Amino acid sequence: MNDIETRVARCFSNVFPDLPPEELASASAASMAGWDSVAQVTLLSSLSEEFGFDFEIEDFEELVSYSLILEYLKKRFPDA
Amino acid sequence: MTLNQALAVIKSRKESEGRIYYLACGFEPLHLATFLRAHLLERCAGGNLLVHHGVYGDLRGNVESAAQSPAIGSAVVLEWSDIDPRLGLRSSGGWSKEAKADILRSSLERYAHLETVIEKLGARMPVAIAPPSLLLPPIGNTIRAQSSALELELEQHLAAFLLKLSRLPGVRVVRPPAVATARLDAKMELLAGFPYTIPFADALAGSLAEVLCQPIPKKGLITDLDDTLWSGIVGEVEVEGVSWSQDHHTQAHGLYQQMLGHLASCGVLLAACSKNEISTVEAALARKDLFLDAASLFPIRANWGPKSVSVDKILKTWNISAGAVVFVDDNPMELEEVEGAHPGITCLRFPAKDAAEVWNLLGRLRDLFGKPVVMEEDSLRAASIRSSAHIQEMSADAASPDFLRTLGGTVTVDWRAGSDKRALELINKTNQFNLNGLRIAEGEWQRRLEDDHTVLGVASYQDKFGPLGKVAVLLGSQHGAEVRVSHWVMSCRAFSRRLEHHTLQALFEHSDASEIEFAFQATEKNQPLQEFFRAQQILPDAEGRHRILRAAFMERRGVLPHEVSNLTK
Repeated sequence: MNDIETRVARCFSNVFPDLPPEELASASAASMAGWDSVAQVTLLSSLSEEFGFDFEIEDFEELVSYSLILEYLKKRFPDA
Repeated sequence: MTLNQALAVIKSRKESEGRIYYLACGFEPLHLATFLRAHLLERCAGGNLLVHHGVYGDLRGNVESAAQSPAIGSAVVLEWSDIDPRLGLRSSGGWSKEAKADILRSSLERYAHLETVIEKLGARMPVAIAPPSLLLPPIGNTIRAQSSALELELEQHLAAFLLKLSRLPGVRVVRPPAVATARLDAKMELLAGFPYTIPFADALAGSLAEVLCQPIPKKGLITDLDDTLWSGIVGEVEVEGVSWSQDHHTQAHGLYQQMLGHLASCGVLLAACSKNEISTVEAALARKDLFLDAASLFPIRANWGPKSVSVDKILKTWNISAGAVVFVDDNPMELEEVEGAHPGITCLRFPAKDAAEVWNLLGRLRDLFGKPVVMEEDSLRAASIRSSAHIQEMSADAASPDFLRTLGGTVTVDWRAGSDKRALELINKTNQFNLNGLRIAEGEWQRRLEDDHTVLGVASYQDKFGPLGKVAVLLGSQHGAEVRVSHWVMSCRAFSRRLEHHTLQALFEHSDASEIEFAFQATEKNQPLQEFFRAQQILPDAEGRHRILRAAFMERRGVLPHEVSNLTK
């Protein structure tokens, strides 16, 4: 795992403590019962604090899986 | 605490069960619930705990749900939008002249409804209520730097409401945290219905947890005199040479004296410990311009020996442990010497030359001695310590029945004292005569009292030296002819009067039990209780249980010196 993946994994683990590490890559709002709107706000707030920036309102609608979030952050922080 | 730190604290608790706290608010609880749980976990002993909450937009309904829940404590967080949705960001009800008049009118009705449900909640569990933290919307006719009459009137209604709440049993009004950070997160409020920035949510949750899980207040303060209670060395500059006034630029000592006077009025024990001649100290304390009633200092130890020895004698007179005491001195060496000899004592330096630090010290003393309610027993404490010392002086064998009979004592055991907060305070403060050292949270206390099997007796005592107030508590449950005592405590002020024998006899009589079983555990501090058990031969049986039969107690109790009255339903 690179630095971004490690930090994202830590945020996921804090918000979804029951999520097994091997299922992280496939985690999404559609596949996880616990990933509701409250968890979505908590997760993006956790990531926002971890990476030190604010998500846009539309991000809360669009970033609904681990892979989408990772892709978004890698684009935003290409040098990380 | 950051959000990720709070989430990590919560994640570290693997248990799915735990004590329940309720967060009642009209907005989405989101990060506030996360931070509240994390702060409560950090502050409150006793394993895991959970934070339950209600539904969006119904503060009153959520408070009602909290009152019916198994929670042991509640945080109620009020915002202006709970008083009228038009005062929030998510409403489009308008701010016309008519709307504003309607907001003012209806707010009174809203407060009355909330008061009713919060009163019911406070009767069941401790409640920390936070007043609105956010600013009112820009509905005033004035510029922002100037308050409008409308805003002042709304704030006046709020203040009157909070004042009423502060007088309700079980309800504690939270002072909004003083933070430099922004409070409102308008984006998150519009997106998710959560109005606070993350740093403010953390600060507010911290204040709520602090009010809900308060540390046990200290009982006594021992103060140095020279360069602490007053400025100057009285042995060098004479009685008129020491000062504590603005005129002498020594007002910091005057503020400290006023603080000690305030603490004494709240029932805190005060004593003085000084390296001086006693006659010199007495002359200085006789000055009429002291801001503190010198009679509230008892005992006064003035000599040239180590201060730790004087502190030891004071603790023995008070009959309390060092952990319940604060020692204040300007000299770091004295503080270190006392701290080394009395582990657990809280030693604070009096920073005479630094006004800001003195001000901080007074705030620290408020936190160390502060309690939600000052009770009648608090005002009796100092007088009863004096009378105990007097009793010891009167008779070398002060505990003998013959001597005790001369006191004209009366023990009153109240078996109806269900809502008595003093009983819970005694259980949670008493260390020495304590069956097992187990504490009870306020909400758990209410659950115990709701159980039909529960037996609760609260003993008060008075004699010719005056009342001691409520000094002993027995809590247990009755199952047929057996009573199982889970908690039994007696204030150290009531030692050597055979009140423990009277209390146990009263339990046998009230319950008509043939046998009492005690949930005894030895602790580091409950030697007095252990001595009583040894004397009564309440020793572990083959199954490790501590029991006493009525007949055995009657045989061993000896002569009981006081009159007893039982108050029953």
